[in-house]
Amino acid sequence: MRLVGIHHTHASGIVALRGIDLVVDPAAPTVLRGPDGAGKTTLLRVAAGAVVPTAGEIEDPPAVVGYLPDRFPARTKLPPRRWLDHMTRVRGLDPDDTGERADELLEELGYGGADDEPMSELSRSDVQKIGLVQALVCDPDLVVLDEPWSGLDDDAADVLTRLLAERSGGLLLTDRTGTAAGLAGARLYRLRAGRLAAASDPDSVPLRTAPPPGSVMRLDLACAGDPRPVLESLPPARVEAAAPGRLTVRVPVPDSDAWLMAALAAGCAVRSVRPVRREADGTPAAPDTRSRTGVPRPSDRPARRPRGPGAPQW
Amino acid sequence: MVRRARSAFAVAMLLGEDLARSERFIAPAVLYVAVVAFLFAGDPAPLPEPWAASALLLYPVGAWFAHALAEAEDDVARTVTLSAAGGPLPVAAGVLLAATAGIAALGLVAVVWGVVAAWGTATTGGLLDGMLAHLACGITGAAVGSVFARPLFRSEGVALVAALTFLVVTGTSAWLPPVGTAAASLGTGRGGLGPFGDLLLAVLVAGAALTVVVRVEQGGFATWRKRWDRLVRRLLERLRPGH
Repeated sequence: MRLVGIHHTHASGIVALRGIDLVVDPAAPTVLRGPDGAGKTTLLRVAAGAVVPTAGEIEDPPAVVGYLPDRFPARTKLPPRRWLDHMTRVRGLDPDDTGERADELLEELGYGGADDEPMSELSRSDVQKIGLVQALVCDPDLVVLDEPWSGLDDDAADVLTRLLAERSGGLLLTDRTGTAAGLAGARLYRLRAGRLAAASDPDSVPLRTAPPPGSVMRLDLACAGDPRPVLESLPPARVEAAAPGRLTVRVPVPDSDAWLMAALAAGCAVRSVRPVRREADGTPAAPDTRSRTGVPRPSDRPARRPRGPGAPQW
Repeated sequence: MVRRARSAFAVAMLLGEDLARSERFIAPAVLYVAVVAFLFAGDPAPLPEPWAASALLLYPVGAWFAHALAEAEDDVARTVTLSAAGGPLPVAAGVLLAATAGIAALGLVAVVWGVVAAWGTATTGGLLDGMLAHLACGITGAAVGSVFARPLFRSEGVALVAALTFLVVTGTSAWLPPVGTAAASLGTGRGGLGPFGDLLLAVLVAGAALTVVVRVEQGGFATWRKRWDRLVRRLLERLRPGH
């Protein structure tokens, strides 16, 4: 999908987007970042087909879009599964074809709400899970997610990271937790005042879309039981920590995608993927705070929400 | 086209079930059934005369249904429905379809109740006239209700006042098709477009309402909307106490 010259002015007269040109590559996640009021949500709504832009064109629009807005409220009295069935029908699909996949996704995300309760009475986390399943279950050509990790408990956040990492097809999202930037091959764009960052804007330097040569990724994985036997079946990597249930490795960027795929195939789940910026001499930019025993100190443990707004970009 | 039609029916089912579970349909439905019960209580007038009142009442009730359906989802949840449906057309059509289903059910109650209560006066022609007049009034009401709601009106209060004014003015003009003529033809037998003509015109009015709602959702009539918003804002400022 290609957004060409997108302008949008809200009914209130506020100009939200001022000429956005953006290609959403199906081969790589497209991540939008920027301050509040930059136009991220409006741009996502335009891409999802929920808002018709004042001007501009959407070329090659996807046939089926999975969309989840930020702060999805769901004040509806419908029970969650009824709502999911309705949304599947609205997309022109048969709920019987997607019901099983919806159950699997709900189970993976750890949905704990009752099936017969109205959605308006579910917890914030469960509502977010229902919203995510709604967006992902229909095998969409494009998934558009606005702050998808917000409101999720830590385990569900990890599962979502894995689901998005495994997904093929277009993915456009905003994320202030920084997790999306760690998705393999993620292309980052910064929005400011309704415009995509340009080199001429000193306050809005565009983020690089590819890591520089020599970059290294830190992969934090959750593996069932002792990960050492699993390690033997995986490609060689520098092991930072290997404890029951947990495995942290450093992998050069060119090999990181293949390593992740191999780890997933071996039954591990991805907790986080973070870049490790390296100096020209090949040493990590950040001081290595690992203890001599090889067990990371708490401050060195990768957070479940890996990068905050102040964390380094490529 | 087929996908949009399926999406529109699916949106109608979604909004209809949401309205049913939220019980926001109860007030207009109970009001309508109470009036029908009153109309056919005791020794009712011969058919189709009492149907004039029940058909006319279906006009504001249809508007009430459509307004409630159009406002059933909050703004954020509505973006999900719009995205899933592939645009505003299936969503706006879904509102009209669900409202039409509601008024058809209530209209059927009025027609059947009338036939049972005034059995000796029912004729096949009168029955057909009564059913078509109820549909014409209800569909027109649904069209009005869908216009006097989001996205044309962002303020519920302004939408309510404007809709009530419009409904009273158009519903009490017996010469004005399709509602006035449909109800009047049952009550006094005055000619108009005929029962099929009224229904056809009601469907055309619904089509026009659908076009307007979709165009506004797509950013159409921007200049008019700005002028309208300015006008409403000035009016509200003048009405504010202490001004």
